[in-house]
Amino acid sequence: MTSAADPLAPPLLDIRDLHVKVGGQEVLRGISLVVRAGEVHAIMGPNGSGKSTLAHVLAGRPGYEIVSGSASFEGRDLFALAPEQRARAGLFLGFQYPVEIPGVNNAYLLKAAVNAARRERGLAELDAFEFLSVVRTKIRLMQIDESFLSRGVNEGFSGGEKKRNEILQLLVLEPKLALLDETDSGLDIDALKLVANGINSLRAAERAIVLVTHYQRMLDFVVPDYVHVLARGRIARSGDRTLALELEKRGYDWIGEQAAA
Amino acid sequence: MASPAATRPSETLDRILRDYQAVAARLPDAAVTRDARAHAVRELSRYGWPKASDEQWRYTNLRAFEAVPAFGPAVPVPELLLPELAPELPPALPGFQRLLYVDGVRQLGAAASAAATATTTAGPDWPAEQRFGLLCDMFASDVAALRIRGSAAVEVLFLTSAAAAGAACYPRLQVALEPDSELKLVERHLGAPPAPTLVCANIAIELGRGARLMHYRLQQCGPRTAFADTLDARLAEQASYSVRQVAIGAGSARTSAQVRLSGRGAALSWQAIAVGRGQQVHDAALKVEHLAPDTRTEEVFRGIADERARIAFSGHIHIAACAPGSDARQSLRGLIEGAGAEIDLRPRLEINTDEVKAQHGATTGALDENLMFYLLARGIDRSTARALLKWAFLGDVLRAIDLREVRRAAEQGAAGQLPDVVAIGALT
Ligand SMILES: Nc1ncnc2c1ncn2[C@@H]1O[C@H](COP(=O)(O)OP(=O)(O)OP(=O)(O)O)[C@@H](O)[C@H]1O
Ligand SMILES: [Mg+2]
Repeated sequence: MTSAADPLAPPLLDIRDLHVKVGGQEVLRGISLVVRAGEVHAIMGPNGSGKSTLAHVLAGRPGYEIVSGSASFEGRDLFALAPEQRARAGLFLGFQYPVEIPGVNNAYLLKAAVNAARRERGLAELDAFEFLSVVRTKIRLMQIDESFLSRGVNEGFSGGEKKRNEILQLLVLEPKLALLDETDSGLDIDALKLVANGINSLRAAERAIVLVTHYQRMLDFVVPDYVHVLARGRIARSGDRTLALELEKRGYDWIGEQAAA
Repeated sequence: MASPAATRPSETLDRILRDYQAVAARLPDAAVTRDARAHAVRELSRYGWPKASDEQWRYTNLRAFEAVPAFGPAVPVPELLLPELAPELPPALPGFQRLLYVDGVRQLGAAASAAATATTTAGPDWPAEQRFGLLCDMFASDVAALRIRGSAAVEVLFLTSAAAAGAACYPRLQVALEPDSELKLVERHLGAPPAPTLVCANIAIELGRGARLMHYRLQQCGPRTAFADTLDARLAEQASYSVRQVAIGAGSARTSAQVRLSGRGAALSWQAIAVGRGQQVHDAALKVEHLAPDTRTEEVFRGIADERARIAFSGHIHIAACAPGSDARQSLRGLIEGAGAEIDLRPRLEINTDEVKAQHGATTGALDENLMFYLLARGIDRSTARALLKWAFLGDVLRAIDLREVRRAAEQGAAGQLPDVVAIGALT
């Protein structure tokens, strides 16, 4: 369970005592979490515990009120950045429910996204040819048919195809921090392995991955360094992989009792 | 200019009649017969000038039409001066014959092809909601009259020159397709005169049995134009009429269209886009009459109102008792982009027989925040994201425009410059 991370490096993501309200209700009630480059964290927790809220707030979705606390990304105040700036700085959100955008070509979105990130890093933009050769290797890895590129973004994709498409975007964008919100749910076992392979191919010393999941099964394939349990807007417990196994056996109730206590 | 903005409706009518008296003697019989002009005068006098309180005219920016300095037709531009006065012509459409009309008058110069125009027919009897058609009947100085046997592709360019500023232009298009004939027709209105100018066009379409007309309509007039187009189409048995209409230009525009499906199995596909920004007003009223069994209508409208623009679309489909087996589908959608923008969609299905399939829907809203966030979360900047989503909103109709040049014009007018999109489209 040794992490590849350098404990002295400044954390990639540093969340401190974060309180967030949605619809007038405090949904995150004091979250603190440090994620360093090279680490893989899993966040588990019952429905409605605030997992997606946390992911959304970090990615900059509007509609959330940050009551108190802070979050920094490579030392920069995350909340001072617009969502598109966070993405270009290297933060990627894999959506629990990817939206369909008929009429916007999948390839167009990918290319625009890649080039926005490259511009940010001072790299030359990819031309159509370079882009296509990058994308081709990734879609092969995800076993996505090339015809998907010319379809509308997620238009008419099955649930599993949408999730695979999220991972395709992840692979093409190669962010520093990937927040993957239930990318494993709704996948059959073969697709789960594909997605896990995709994620594992990105594991690297300079990159961190935060997996939100309900299922221990995913963690058999993408083995985390840390597991956190979110309950009622707080991290009720943190541990290593064995925590996930214990949750699988005992459910969340015993954690909820402890958190309430 | 003295603003006639506060004129009473009768004052505008008086002004029109006075302007008519002043020019009547000079108007050519060949375009519209003297009798037909006199008939139009009587009809307009009977209807009167429309009032904002009339349901059919509620969303029209009547003030813009009342503010036209003169209703008499612009003096024809000598061909020599054309290059100075007229904007650059769009590149020729491959495979299309081009007819060029400047300020409502045919140009026979090098820019125009020699496509013959046939003899004219009298215009239709315009109902009250199409009374702007009467103005064109009164004042028109020329006509583009096409009678097609076999198959053809024709582009009719109506250009308003700078010389027409402060006056009016009356484009006039009459199309008759013989049985089983086929026409691709591009009707394009261009030109940006530097002062308030009226462009008031009439379009009359007659499709014989089994005839097929693909009609691309592009309105890209300048901001000081008050633009009106009045269209009447009649379809015989098994005829099919497809309209792809894109309204981007003019300060204020009003489309008044009526389509009659008179023969069994006649089919209409009307797909229209209107995009307004600034203080633009686009108002369209389309009435479709199902008058025979097994007739079909597919009506799609997509409007985007930016800034303080106002867009209205009224779609009235009437299925008569004698039209069992008819199928009518209507999908109207508006996208409000500006805080001061307004969109009014009025779907109306009136069904007087059983055994019809009918479907209609009208929705207006802002850009979907969820879609917006998805794009932002991929690092797309806000203005590109907005443009992409507008693009997506217009997607159905844009895709239905199978003529590339027309689609490009629509795309650019609607969503701004998205240079990569076409490249990507070609690449995948
Ligand atoms: N826009 C909103 N308005 C009101 N309440 C909201 C809103 N968004 C989220 N909530 C509430 O916040 C709580 C946390 O929701 P969140 O989506 O973060 O849970 P989750 O842990 O991701 O659940 P799941 O496992 O079902 O995905 C829930 O009680 C939810 O109803
Ligand atoms: Mg969730």
